[in-house]
Amino acid sequence: MDISALIDSLHPLEINVLTTLGLRPPETALGSEQLARAAELEPSQLSMAVEWLLAKSLITVQTETVTPIVSLTKIGVEYYQTASPIERVLAAARDATGTGKRLTIPDLQAQGGLDPSDVSKAVGRLKKEGVVLIIQGGCVETTGRQSPTAEALRTLLGEMRDSPKELKSFTEAHRQVIEDFAVKRGNAKEPFRVDDRVARSFTLSPDGVSAAAQLLRQGVVEEVSQLTPDLLKDGSWRQKRFRKYTISLRPPRIGAGKKHAYREFLDTVKAKLVSMGFQEMRGALVETEFWDMDALFMPQFHPARDIHDVYFVKDPSHTTALDEPFLSRVAKVHENGEETGSTGWGYSFDVHRAKRLVLRSQGTAVSARTLAAAPDIPGKYFSIARCFRYDQVDATHATDFFQVEGIVLGEDINFRTLLGLLNLFAREVAQAKEVKFLPAYFPFTEPSVELHVRHPRLGWMELGGAGLFRPEVTLPLGVTVPVIAWGLGLDRMAMVALGIHDIRELFTDNLELIRTTRGLF
Amino acid sequence: MPTITIFQDDLESLLTVDRGAGRGITVAQLEDWLMLVKGELKGHNPETGELRIELQDSNRPDLWCCEGIARQIRIKQQGRLKPYSFFAKKPKSPHHLIVKPGMEQVRPYIAACMARGYRVTEKGLAQLIQTQEKLADIFGRKRKTVSIGVYQLRNITFPVTYELVKPDDVRFTPLGMETTMTLSEILMVHPKGLEYGPILAVKSLLPILRDAKDQPLSFPPIINSREIGEVRVGDNELFIEVTGTDLAMVILSLNIFAANLADRGASIEPVEIQYPTSTILGKRVKTPQDLGKPKTIQIKTIEQALGQALGETVVKQALESYGYGLSAEKGSVKAKLPPYRHDLMHTIDVVEDVAMSRGYAEFTPVMPAQFTVGGLSAIEQLSDRSRELMVGLGFQEIISNILGSPDQYSGFMRLHGTEWGRTVDVDNVMSLSFSCLRQWMLPSLLRIEAASSRAFYPHRLFEAGDVAIPDGAHELGSRTETVLGALIAHATTHFSEIHSSLDVLFYYLGKEYSLEPVQHPSFLEGRAGRILVSGKPVGVIGEVHPEVLERWQIVMPVVAFDVNLSQLVS
Repeated sequence: MDISALIDSLHPLEINVLTTLGLRPPETALGSEQLARAAELEPSQLSMAVEWLLAKSLITVQTETVTPIVSLTKIGVEYYQTASPIERVLAAARDATGTGKRLTIPDLQAQGGLDPSDVSKAVGRLKKEGVVLIIQGGCVETTGRQSPTAEALRTLLGEMRDSPKELKSFTEAHRQVIEDFAVKRGNAKEPFRVDDRVARSFTLSPDGVSAAAQLLRQGVVEEVSQLTPDLLKDGSWRQKRFRKYTISLRPPRIGAGKKHAYREFLDTVKAKLVSMGFQEMRGALVETEFWDMDALFMPQFHPARDIHDVYFVKDPSHTTALDEPFLSRVAKVHENGEETGSTGWGYSFDVHRAKRLVLRSQGTAVSARTLAAAPDIPGKYFSIARCFRYDQVDATHATDFFQVEGIVLGEDINFRTLLGLLNLFAREVAQAKEVKFLPAYFPFTEPSVELHVRHPRLGWMELGGAGLFRPEVTLPLGVTVPVIAWGLGLDRMAMVALGIHDIRELFTDNLELIRTTRGLF
Repeated sequence: MPTITIFQDDLESLLTVDRGAGRGITVAQLEDWLMLVKGELKGHNPETGELRIELQDSNRPDLWCCEGIARQIRIKQQGRLKPYSFFAKKPKSPHHLIVKPGMEQVRPYIAACMARGYRVTEKGLAQLIQTQEKLADIFGRKRKTVSIGVYQLRNITFPVTYELVKPDDVRFTPLGMETTMTLSEILMVHPKGLEYGPILAVKSLLPILRDAKDQPLSFPPIINSREIGEVRVGDNELFIEVTGTDLAMVILSLNIFAANLADRGASIEPVEIQYPTSTILGKRVKTPQDLGKPKTIQIKTIEQALGQALGETVVKQALESYGYGLSAEKGSVKAKLPPYRHDLMHTIDVVEDVAMSRGYAEFTPVMPAQFTVGGLSAIEQLSDRSRELMVGLGFQEIISNILGSPDQYSGFMRLHGTEWGRTVDVDNVMSLSFSCLRQWMLPSLLRIEAASSRAFYPHRLFEAGDVAIPDGAHELGSRTETVLGALIAHATTHFSEIHSSLDVLFYYLGKEYSLEPVQHPSFLEGRAGRILVSGKPVGVIGEVHPEVLERWQIVMPVVAFDVNLSQLVS
């Protein structure tokens, strides 16, 4: 047995008993009372400690003696204070004999408070002792002899009125009387009770000897609840016992420093894009219609440019300047296609409209500005841009949201490399091995593709859209190589992964929810 | 773009040329075919055979109907489009529609034709109305540029006249009404008059379409006459007209309608429109009319854009089985769109049709081989580093909407009317809760605090994100800058607790800063500071003013800072 581990688990009461015994010469046995006195414990404390130590086999029972003890029952106390049935019967019989009255058994039974069974038992006893006679006619008469039983009862009731006595302290004759008048099974109406008192003495087991020895070697230790710098400084922790905790309980909660689960997800996407060679682009929350839409060859009459689709800025409502030569070139491309080889939209371009300020409605606006700012060729760019849509906010529509978008420029860009890039996104962003490419429509790309992927945990979903920028977009901005424009629709993936069904919960104000969302992607 | 409802048996019968070929389409087969039309199956009721399909391409209105979808699939199956005879230039039409002078000021163009021999069924009528609505609504920009009317032909006497009248000179019973009304009454009372009336800028003279007996056919683009302009199940002679402001769009819409009815078995008879002055198509314009012009396209251009050598034969086959009219030349094709399409703006549009006709699955993806170096912007790097530090300091990150209310961003903050309270405001406000952009971060943090009094304390929150700061000197009227805001809330929090966090943050960002007292209405006086870096203000810090907390209904002391990271970068 690992004595040290055992010692660590001992309760102070157990330690007290062990050391009390350990201080005595080997194999000394102490009875419970001696032990309680020596250890200065209450009998109840001692009995707890003894039971625990016995269970741990650190002490053994040396002797066990059983002592019968006699005490008065409630009836016995009553008999002592008044008289026992036998005394009352005897007194009545003497009285009758002295006065010459006839006294029958029924007369005795009629006397108050005596049970018929008590009367017959008393008469039987007295008759047997030759104290009374039953003469003709069933009358009781005394003989003049003394009753040893009645005398013994009176003596015994008197001796035990204050405290119980050991059975063996009485004479043989008295012991017989006690036995005859003791509570037995089926007869509780008796004056005496005999109980067995078990007295045990205890001695240390071999393990107990080692434990006690170690405890004594360690000296008396004080229990403390907290390790303190003072205890460490002077080394006094060695003399202390540290209170044990119930470590299976749930701990109190703490608020952790933590990233927002959705931002964490966007961070991993950001890291993936950088690892794939993409450079980050930034743009403004407020944008001109020119960069938000005109530069993307969306005609000014396009339904998505309606007052019900875009937020317009109040003041100032228009930009002070638009960069040339982009403005004139884009205007002409809208009108007649100019040198792009396009027919254009065939309407008259409104420059004032192009200057209108809006809340950025699509991340592609950031790409358009990058195209016009002499981008690297070959080049890859991305942005995670906050965009605004004029939608009624509900479970599937947010008024502002993140769009992850970008462009890839290069001589080797074509429809097949576009598909290759989407394959890469599918694998890197959604860990998907299965993909589907569906024809799609975006105003600024041709051909256009929608990317559907099978996420290993989340199933089939639309991951994004992409296409090759129309020449009407790239040429006026001064880019002569083909350009892929791509966008990833990550909200749905994030929502499924975060286990939420309402897009508003991505930006929830519920701190408890924010704190408890794990965000495993 | 539009979502339409069609029926499977209708689609099947339109697909069936030799009986049996289109019967019993499976959903998988249908989804496969829908790739030809950029269509997505949104709903399917196997009991009624109802299919809900979303059509993505806003430049292909011919596909926004059952007939158009069936046609594109049929052409693919048959390998080419069977030409519609009524598009032929000759012979001249004996039926005339006369456009009177003055229309050019109001709604200049009209196109019309007749369709005989197709008996309108219940489902056919529903499709007719759906096509009419989708074309006028989406392609016709809510009837502004194009609107369509369909009539019972047998009640019309030619020639029909398209002219202007005084609002009270003509009266007829419009659809949906029991009694006759004048045009001005229609504009004032009829639901369609109220909805589409604003299209007619001049109200003193209004357009009317009447036949030779002066019977009004309709009041374009508002409403048809109930007597002539209500098509019923069982009718087998129809008159169709399209009015609008763009001649090409008007004719294209009629072409689509004519092709649709022809596909359902009608024989189409053109109508000659007689304009008072010459249009780009002349004075007399027979409609429907094929406006398509052949475009010569180099095979090489297509191959380059697709990244695959296909060869002349394959390209030709792909285009022909997508409905193009073709004549081959050496190394190039001369391609012409079918008459119901008008979306060829650039060669690149043909490229996509080649890819779609062959199927995107025919093209093997290739990784772009070019080498590029990835990286984050300086502001994003600073923002990320700050976020890491805030997490290390025990703060929980949050994200908020940027679009919010002036109440929250300024009013609650006691900033109304101050320089700090200015925001970028929305002009076309839909809801006050989303009517301006945040100009600083603290309100976003208080929004969470106000909603989270039940979450155990302390609360330590931060957000790094964009704000829009009004700036008259900037060409966009505002600067978008990245701001870091942080907040601590608990019963015994105080200035030095948030100050310590700021101190640690700036230490690790490697920025020397100092604080100078500031009187900022959002903070307790004497317990607020302006954060200065190299003498330049970059933010504020302090104990949030109890009145601010009261307005947010927050009953916990709050300390906070707001640091403009963009100012730290430059």
